[in-house]
Amino acid sequence: MADNPYTLHRLANGLQIVIECMPDVRSVAVGFLVRTGSRDETPEVAGVSHFLEHMMFKGTARRTWRQITVDFDRLGSTYNAYTSAERTIYYGWVPHDLLEPQLELLADMMQSRLPPEEFDTEKNVVLEEIAMSKDQLEHVAMDFLQEQVFAGHPLAWPILGYDHTVGPLSRDGMDGYFRQRYAADNLTLIVTGNLNPTVVIDLADKYCGAWQPAGAPAERRLPALRQGTSVQQVERFKQQIVALACPSVGSADPLAETAGALATILGGENSRFYWNIIQTGISPRAGVFHLDYRDCGLLVLWGACQPENAERLLDAMRAEAAKISTEKVATHEVQRVKNIRRTGLAIEAEAPYHRFGQIVEDMECRGHPRTVNQMLADVDAVSADTIQQYLARCPIDRGGHLVSVGPRAWPAASNC
Amino acid sequence: MTDTLHTKLSCGLECAVQPLPDRHVVAFQIRVLGGTCGEPEAKLGLARIVTETLDKGTARHTGPELLDAFDSLGAHHRAGTGRETATFTCTVLPEHFEPAVALHAEMLRTPTFPADAFEVNVELARQELLALQDDPQGLVDKYLNAQAFGPVLGRHALGERDTLDRLTRDDVVEFWQTHFQAGRMLVAVAGAIEPQHALALLEEHFAGFGTAQQDARLPVAFGFGAETRHYPKDLEQEQLGLCWPGVAVTDPDFPVQQVTLGVLSGGMSARLFTEVREKQGLVYWVGAWQETPRGAGLIFLGASTRPERCDRTYATLLAEVDRLGKDLTEEELQRAITGLVAAQDTRGDTTRARCAELGSDLFYYGHPVSREKKLAWVRVVTRADVERYLAGHPRDRLSVVTLGPRALGAD
Repeated sequence: MADNPYTLHRLANGLQIVIECMPDVRSVAVGFLVRTGSRDETPEVAGVSHFLEHMMFKGTARRTWRQITVDFDRLGSTYNAYTSAERTIYYGWVPHDLLEPQLELLADMMQSRLPPEEFDTEKNVVLEEIAMSKDQLEHVAMDFLQEQVFAGHPLAWPILGYDHTVGPLSRDGMDGYFRQRYAADNLTLIVTGNLNPTVVIDLADKYCGAWQPAGAPAERRLPALRQGTSVQQVERFKQQIVALACPSVGSADPLAETAGALATILGGENSRFYWNIIQTGISPRAGVFHLDYRDCGLLVLWGACQPENAERLLDAMRAEAAKISTEKVATHEVQRVKNIRRTGLAIEAEAPYHRFGQIVEDMECRGHPRTVNQMLADVDAVSADTIQQYLARCPIDRGGHLVSVGPRAWPAASNC
Repeated sequence: MTDTLHTKLSCGLECAVQPLPDRHVVAFQIRVLGGTCGEPEAKLGLARIVTETLDKGTARHTGPELLDAFDSLGAHHRAGTGRETATFTCTVLPEHFEPAVALHAEMLRTPTFPADAFEVNVELARQELLALQDDPQGLVDKYLNAQAFGPVLGRHALGERDTLDRLTRDDVVEFWQTHFQAGRMLVAVAGAIEPQHALALLEEHFAGFGTAQQDARLPVAFGFGAETRHYPKDLEQEQLGLCWPGVAVTDPDFPVQQVTLGVLSGGMSARLFTEVREKQGLVYWVGAWQETPRGAGLIFLGASTRPERCDRTYATLLAEVDRLGKDLTEEELQRAITGLVAAQDTRGDTTRARCAELGSDLFYYGHPVSREKKLAWVRVVTRADVERYLAGHPRDRLSVVTLGPRALGAD
C-alpha cells in the first residue's frame, strides 16, 4: 500500500495543524483535538470537561445552537464530539468539496460563548446521560475499577462526573476552565482526505489565525496504582463482573503495541480466553484490553458471569495469566494477531474518519503522525520476545487490583 | 450499477460482484436464507445456535484450527443471526480472497457440530439471556419486537430459557441441512477483484452444495400487534419504545419513508433531537429508525429518561410525529435529503459498506440497484410526498413498551 503524504504546520498563535492527503477517496474529515479531559479537572468539578463538550454545540457569537446543528446537517456531515480522560475531540466528515464550510463551522464552535440561557437545559441532558450510565453494568464496573485503582488521582473519577459535581457546576466556573483549556496552543487541527494541503493551511489561518494562545497548561501528575481487592454490591444487576487490573505501559511507551498484541492473544477473538473461558461455558463475555493513557496504563482481564460462577471465572483468568507468563507465546500466535491488524489498517485507510482517529492517537502518544506503512512497521516489530520483555516489566500473574461488581458481595470483606 | 455483475451460478448461488479496482481490500457477504423465522415454535434460539456452532469444527479442521486458518489470512469475519437470514461477512486483502472463500465453503458445507460445543453454546445462550436483563435497551427491543412483529418475525435470536432447554444436537443438524444449501444463498462481493474470477471461485467452492433450486424468496406474513405494555424494573431511567407500520424496502414510498425518518432523526437538527433533547433537556438519547423484513416495514421511536419525565417525553415524541404532517418546511426536507446523499461519499463509500449495500439489494430487490437510481429516488421526494406518506401510515395503531420503575400515566 502506497503511503499518503502528510503535512505538519503551526500557525503563529501556536495552533498545530496535521494534514493527510488521501487522493483516492471522495470525502474529507476535519476536526479539532483539544488537550483536555477529566484528568485535568479538580475533584469538585469532576465532569466539567464532558459537560463543556456538550456546551460547545450551544452557540457562538455568530450562531445559535440551532444554527450550529442546522449548518452541520446542511453539509450532510457525519459529525460528533467525545471526551476522554486526556482529550476532547470535535469532528465532521463531509464530501471533499465541503471542506471549507465544515472547517469554518468547527472553528466557529471552538469560540463558543457558552450561552448562559442554555446552561441548565444542557445540564439536564448530562444528568440524563449519567443516569443512563448507572443502568449499564459494564459502565458501572469500569467506573468503579478506575475509582479504586486510581484513588486520589484525577483518573479516578468518571468522565461524565457525578450528580453531585455536575449538579452544582456554574456557567462562569466552566467559562474559566474553557478559556484556559481551549486556547490556540492547546489545540490541534487535523484534516484528512481528498484535499490540497496548501488550501487547508490558508483556511486554518483564515478561520483560526486570530485565536489567542494561553501558554502551556499544567503538567499532568503520574498516578500511583493501588493494588488490592474492591467489591461493589449492586443487587439489581443479574451478572457479576470480575476484573483484574494489572499495571501496564502508557500509550507513548515503545511496548504499547506489544501490550495491545498481548491483550489480543490472551483475550481477543479466537484467543486463549475465548477457547478456555467462553467456550468452556464459564462466561459468555470475557476478554482483555489495554487501557492506555499517555504515561501509564492498565492491562485489564475481565469477564461477566452468573454470580455463582465468579470463583471459576477468576481462577480461569488467573490460570491463563500464569500460563502466558511462564510459557513463551508461540510465533504463530503473534503472527495471527499481526495479520488481523494488517487487514484492519487496510480497511481503516479507506476512510478519512478512521485515519483522523489514528492521527489523533499518534499526536497524543508520539507528538507526530505515522503513515499507514509506519504503523505496519510498528506492528511487525512485535514478537514473542517483546511479549516476554513486556511481561517481565509488567507482570500479570501477581499483584494487580481485583474488582468485583454485581449482586454478590464477593469476595467477602475479610478477604479484601 | 453498470459494472456490477449479477448472476445465478449453476450451483444455485445468487451472486453480485462490484469491482472497485482502486481499493486495497475485498469484502464479501454470504446470506443464507434461514433465520429465526425458520425455527420450529418449540425450538426458539436454534438458528443462532447453528450459526454459533458452525465454526467449532469441520471435516478438515477442529474449531481452533479453523479460526487459526481465518486468522492466518488476516480475515476480518463475522457471523450473525437475523429474522430471515444467517449472515457471514468477511474482509481480506485481495490476495487472500480465494482461501477466505474456501474456508467459508468448508465451514458452511462440512460442519461437524461437535456435541460438546453444542452443549456449551446452549449454556452460553442461557447466560446471554441473563445478561440481557442487565441491558435495558436490549430488553426493550426484545419486548417491543415480540409485541409488534408477533410470534414468528418477533422472535429474539437468543430464544427463551425453556426452548433452549429443549434443543438437541439433532435439531441443529436438521436446521442446517434444511436451510444451508446453495439455492438459499445470496453472495455479494465488492472490492479489488475481477468479477469473473470471483464468480468462478464461488462456483468451484459451492458446486453440489444441496439443492440449486432457488428457495425461501417470499416474505413472511405477520399481523402487527398494537398494544401498550409496561415491564416493571428497578432502573435509574425509564426506557420507552414505540412503533407503527410503515412500508417495505421495495415499496415506491420507501425513499419517502427514509426522508421522513431523516427529518425526524437524521442529525442533531432533526426534530426529535431538537424538541426532546435540546429544547427541553428531557433525554440524552432519543432516536427514530426502521426495521424492514422483506415485504414489510415498521417505524420505531425510542428514548430513555428519568421516570418522572417519561410521560412528558412520550407526549413530546407523539406530538412531533403529528406535527410533521402539518408544518414540514422545504428547508428541513432538503436537509434530510442532503444527509442521505452525502453519506454515500463518506461512511457509505468504504468497501465494506459497498458490499453490505449490494447484499441488501439482492435480499430485498432480488438484483442490484444502482446507487445513482436509489439516490435519484430520494432526491425527488417532496413535502407533498411526506404529507401523503404520513396520512397513509398514521401512528394511530401503536405498539408501545416501557421498561422501568413507572408505567405511562401512572399518576
